Amino acid sequence: MPRIAGIDVPDRKKIYYALQYVHGVGPKFAKDILDEAGIDPDRRANELTESDISRINGIIDNGFLVEGALRRQVQQNIGRLREIRCYRGDRHRSGLPVRGQRTKCNARTRKGRKKTVAGKKGIKG
Amino acid sequence: MSRSLKKGPYVDEKLYRKVERQNEDGERSPIKTWARQCLIVPEFVGHTFKVHNGRVFLDVFVTEDMVGHKLGEFSNSRTFRGHTNKKEGIKTGK
Repeated sequence: MPRIAGIDVPDRKKIYYALQYVHGVGPKFAKDILDEAGIDPDRRANELTESDISRINGIIDNGFLVEGALRRQVQQNIGRLREIRCYRGDRHRSGLPVRGQRTKCNARTRKGRKKTVAGKKGIKG
Repeated sequence: MSRSLKKGPYVDEKLYRKVERQNEDGERSPIKTWARQCLIVPEFVGHTFKVHNGRVFLDVFVTEDMVGHKLGEFSNSRTFRGHTNKKEGIKTGK
């Protein structure tokens, strides 16, 4: 199993798709990386030679923010918003959608599982 | 949607002039403003603004990190006091 960018071990899939198991590499970056390395995207991940893999790793190391480093970067950006006390930071703090979505209904991804409130529908006010 | 690059950043002109005047004098007094939509430019750093939120003016001290945001982002216009408590039927919280 090839190891790319540290921990990741995708296998038996085409390298173009296997690469996308790395956090921070999607279709676009997978293509960019393979173009730069000069590797056929249709080759299976386990068919790659050691030198192919080290070439891919080298390209990712220089110029692609992936995995831990990327996650840290994202957290830092959110932390900055929280720190300067701006609207978006406040929304992050209160665990509500940040980009102006409605919250009357839905927004469950941010708000988490539904919390049932007894009698909410019957009595108003 | 983000603003067209062609137009450049929106900075309230009057406010900008006031800041420039303060920068020349080396003076730092809070500037009252309603221009919530005004972008914070590097010249604003270190100044205090009193940004209107529809009711009162909230103090906003501009730091370097705030550059690129709008003044209004720091002056919340909503009051959330928590949800209704069913038993008492009144608003709970502060």
